[in-house]
Amino acid sequence: MNASPRDPAAPAVSLVIGSGSVKCAAAIGVVKALTEEGIAVERFVGCSAGAIFAAVLALGYGAQESMDATRRLWTSDITAKRNTMGMLRALAPRLFGFKVESFGLRDDRPKDQMLNAFFGDRRIEDAGTPLHITATDFANGELVDLDRGSIADAIRASVALPFAFAPVRLGGKLLVDGYLADPLPVSVAIKHGGRVIIAVGFESPYQERIGSAGRFAFQLSAIMSNNLLKSRFSFHSVAHHSEVIAIIPEFRQRIRLFDTEKLPYIVEEGEACMRAQIPYLRELLAADRAAVAS
Amino acid sequence: MNVTISQQDAVTVVAISGSVDSLSADKLTESFVGELNAGRVKLVADFAAVSYTSSAGLRSVLAAVKESRRSGGDLRIAAVQPDVLRVLSLSGFTSIIKMYDGVAAAVSSYGQA
Repeated sequence: MNASPRDPAAPAVSLVIGSGSVKCAAAIGVVKALTEEGIAVERFVGCSAGAIFAAVLALGYGAQESMDATRRLWTSDITAKRNTMGMLRALAPRLFGFKVESFGLRDDRPKDQMLNAFFGDRRIEDAGTPLHITATDFANGELVDLDRGSIADAIRASVALPFAFAPVRLGGKLLVDGYLADPLPVSVAIKHGGRVIIAVGFESPYQERIGSAGRFAFQLSAIMSNNLLKSRFSFHSVAHHSEVIAIIPEFRQRIRLFDTEKLPYIVEEGEACMRAQIPYLRELLAADRAAVAS
Repeated sequence: MNVTISQQDAVTVVAISGSVDSLSADKLTESFVGELNAGRVKLVADFAAVSYTSSAGLRSVLAAVKESRRSGGDLRIAAVQPDVLRVLSLSGFTSIIKMYDGVAAAVSSYGQA
């Protein structure tokens, strides 16, 4: 499925979808609201789970199709199998040998098979709308903007959550989850000339109870990623010459990692947040076009 | 967006209503600059009726914070509504700006050490 060519005269925004597991499906509702209001997306940027939704939407999937895609791509099967050798290598590196490129406590294969089955050999540059998927360079922590190549491979890198999944070698670099560089990579849209940017972001949930080393690690990760989210977003907000509209759905229902049965609710919340901004967005886009034309 | 300015002793209260965004930020900036140029550097922004703020609004507030502090004063924010507070928190503003539940508390804070 490919998006129909965008009318270059139509009002358009850049859409950045941050990390946030299944909550990123709120972006489906955001695009639904924009589409129904005749506002196009001129560029998609996606990070971590947000990369999956950025890719699906950039390929032109509608709201219902995107939800169906989510149910296929985001299931507990992707983390269901342990990587026994990974665990042994973590516990006894001298005995089993520690290899960075294969270190993860979960078996990558179910996730990779799912991504390959869905996206096949489709490439980023084939998307109807420019698409950017972000990952993190494991060597130096820098954000890597993947704007060409296999969509499935780029998403594999973008969702390579440390400790859970192994890093991914791509383009000569070893890549890990994009959230480590920036959980909401507005910078990519700014760098590519985005003027009006819609940023759909989520804070990582804090653990209610911590009864294991894994939960302890999740809590530390949430603290660091939320602080990184705030520091990066604040910089981008003050650095950008035009406008960044933050869409931060506040879910009243608790959304767990694989709560795909709550997809309709998540999408509705994203749509409602976007619809609340439509009157302002219309005025803003009209003023922006007038400023560019003058 | 509307701006109403009042004086409470040595403190200037800038009451803002509506959306603080790209379309209204210049007006807000002008209001702040007008007060600062007149030497009124102890400011309280009353956000009770602010329904939304975007990056452009944040830049306007930040410029006023920096200029007021440079002049020996401050810009403190009162009565922020939950939706706006989330944007202020996400953008790190709550860590650098003093915030109060209401205007009275914000105004009286200038009299405290």
